[in-house]
Amino acid sequence: MITKEAAPATPAPAPAAAEPPRPVRKKHRAWDEAPRWQIYLPLGIYLLFTLIPFYWILLFALRPAGSTSLVPWPMTFEHFEKVWTDRSFGTFFYNSVLVGVATLIMTTLVALAGGYALARFDFRIKRGFMLALLCSQFVPGALLLVPLFEIFAELQMINSLGSVIIAETVFQLPLSMILISNFIKNVPYSLEEAAWVDGCNRFRAFRVVVLPLLRPGLIAVGSFAFVHSWNHFLFALMFLNNQEKQTIPVGLNTLMSADSVDLGALAAGGIIAAVPVVVVFAFIQKWLITGFSAGAVKG
Amino acid sequence: MKISNRRSSTGGRRAPAAVALGAVLALTATACGDDGSGAGGDKGAEGSGKGKIVFWDNNGGVRTDIWKEVIADFEKANPDIDVEYVGIAATEYQSKVDTAIQGGGLPDVGGVGAAMLAGFAAQQALDPLDDRLEKSSLNGKLNKDMVESLRAAGGGDDKLYSIPTSANNGVLYYRTDLFEKAGLQEPTTWERFYEAAEKLTNKSKNEFGYTIRGGAGSIAQALDAMYGQSGITTFWDSSGKKTTVNDPKNVEALEKYAGLFKKVTPAADLNNDFTKMVAQWDSGTIGMLNHNLGSYQDHVNAFGTEKFRGIPQPTGPGGKRVQVSNPVDGLGLFKSSKNKEAAWKFIEYATSHEANSKFNESAGQVPANTDAAKDAWISKAEPTKLAAEALSDGSTTIVQLPYYLPDWNTISKAENEPNFQKVLNGDMSAKDFLDTLAEQLNEAQAEWDEQMG
Repeated sequence: MITKEAAPATPAPAPAAAEPPRPVRKKHRAWDEAPRWQIYLPLGIYLLFTLIPFYWILLFALRPAGSTSLVPWPMTFEHFEKVWTDRSFGTFFYNSVLVGVATLIMTTLVALAGGYALARFDFRIKRGFMLALLCSQFVPGALLLVPLFEIFAELQMINSLGSVIIAETVFQLPLSMILISNFIKNVPYSLEEAAWVDGCNRFRAFRVVVLPLLRPGLIAVGSFAFVHSWNHFLFALMFLNNQEKQTIPVGLNTLMSADSVDLGALAAGGIIAAVPVVVVFAFIQKWLITGFSAGAVKG
Repeated sequence: MKISNRRSSTGGRRAPAAVALGAVLALTATACGDDGSGAGGDKGAEGSGKGKIVFWDNNGGVRTDIWKEVIADFEKANPDIDVEYVGIAATEYQSKVDTAIQGGGLPDVGGVGAAMLAGFAAQQALDPLDDRLEKSSLNGKLNKDMVESLRAAGGGDDKLYSIPTSANNGVLYYRTDLFEKAGLQEPTTWERFYEAAEKLTNKSKNEFGYTIRGGAGSIAQALDAMYGQSGITTFWDSSGKKTTVNDPKNVEALEKYAGLFKKVTPAADLNNDFTKMVAQWDSGTIGMLNHNLGSYQDHVNAFGTEKFRGIPQPTGPGGKRVQVSNPVDGLGLFKSSKNKEAAWKFIEYATSHEANSKFNESAGQVPANTDAAKDAWISKAEPTKLAAEALSDGSTTIVQLPYYLPDWNTISKAENEPNFQKVLNGDMSAKDFLDTLAEQLNEAQAEWDEQMG
């Protein structure tokens, strides 16, 4: 197995002959001349279209049971209290955080190692391996439920959060590995070589030189893994029986019975489920967009 | 330049090794579940009648509290038995059990209603309960119709695989305040129903006479309205091989019923499952709603008990009330159970007078235990009382839907719900819809007859 050859350093272009400075011309943009309302009206309509469902959830969660008011007044938190304590959403929330964080850590670590290998080494089955990674994305989780169930039963891991964490990690890995390998390809190989020349071994060079440059990519992959496992329903439903081990999506599902539904509780549960995802995205959106666009570049 | 990747140092190995070890330890620490044994083919064992049993509730969530109460009472009466309760949402129950039948991890006892019974029995996942019931103090104490309904739904071998706990029934909910204001009579007949639906509709004010179920679950409701109007009392003709769903009287009834869509109902009803339908009725100005006993409490929360009533389905020709069967719910003993004696004790207790009464009072359903059905709370919950009366006083003929057909769920849901939406939209005639449905049902019945020999 060999590493890729480093690309020869491109000589810097010779500085152009001194020219008189050109006057800076502001780029002409069509929207500079458009009336403000033409910009804000469509945006406002789109925003309304997006926010009305959220308002509706808030309305049901905050207004008393039986109220048909269109504003959440008088405001009540009875639905939140009900789902958090009576319906064990406190426990579900804790379990979901545990599954989400563990999946995030495991996915990121394994994807880093695999992505590095894909980016920096040439090996015989590399193309086939990449193809297999891509193809694995076409296999729906439901198709593998019974085999996975049997494997976890053999390992005595049914009714254990570990089974969900492993299954989520395995399903997250292919895409994460491909993304991370693309991020790593974008980091010049010469930087690592320079670190080796300075006495670093491969791991240290990776940790000190490459890893800091991968921050947007790691955030993108990690958050994607967290959000996906936070929302994922099927594995938690199938592998976890004990009420004390169940996660938020399964808990939400139990708020709807065969012929009755408590909409206030369902809305409150929905908000509890959505808040962590919204908070995560609010903090990381800058890196997330950078990360995904960088990862999408073919190396 | 080519560099071998073998170049590494001790420090380079230490960190990945630590990470791998940490991950393994973390996973080992979390891996402390059961062994998931108990697949569909296991024969199980009687056991000692003591120890732990697992119970899967087929309608977990809303009924979790009452089941936990029943379980606590049972454990008090049987201190040697522990029951682990697992509440599973009704929508996911079948897939969870099917996965466990294939992969292992079945419980000892599970909720097994008529709609799912044929599938589980066909996979030989359930123990027949006839002998146990015969020797039990429950014998003769359970509603005979419910027992027979579950026996018939079991797949044709005339064995009882589920002990009934409760029955649901179709209810016509109507807004008494709106009826009073419009000077309308109670919708006890189909004529009055159609008249009220029209008179209560004022689209400009967003007021509608009725809300129709056009989404998930639409077929059973449409069949209920259809047989109720046509007065046909059997699902199969005298040969037992051809269904009556496409009888001309039923076609006429469905045309009339589907004609209500958009005329006296909101246009959004096209995608109504029960959740949307009930929420719409509870929060809007709609005169009538067809649903079952299960949503009674939701309506009480929305309106109190003063502004609405829940009555049995309207009567049809000649004052006869005909309605389709609602699935009877029950408890089954899984064949793979290693502690069947304790599991049966739990089933016996849960369907006993005291526990069955307590459960059904909370669930708002008709109790299967005949003593429980005489308890005082029944007369206080009006729709339950009326439903119990309608089911037992001979005023109602029940058209038994073929829950025993393994294809029933597919035919009545995935294959025909989209077609019913076409009927509502006017893109398909009621006759074509019912002919297609009849063809599929006749085929499924022929296959079933062949399998049964």
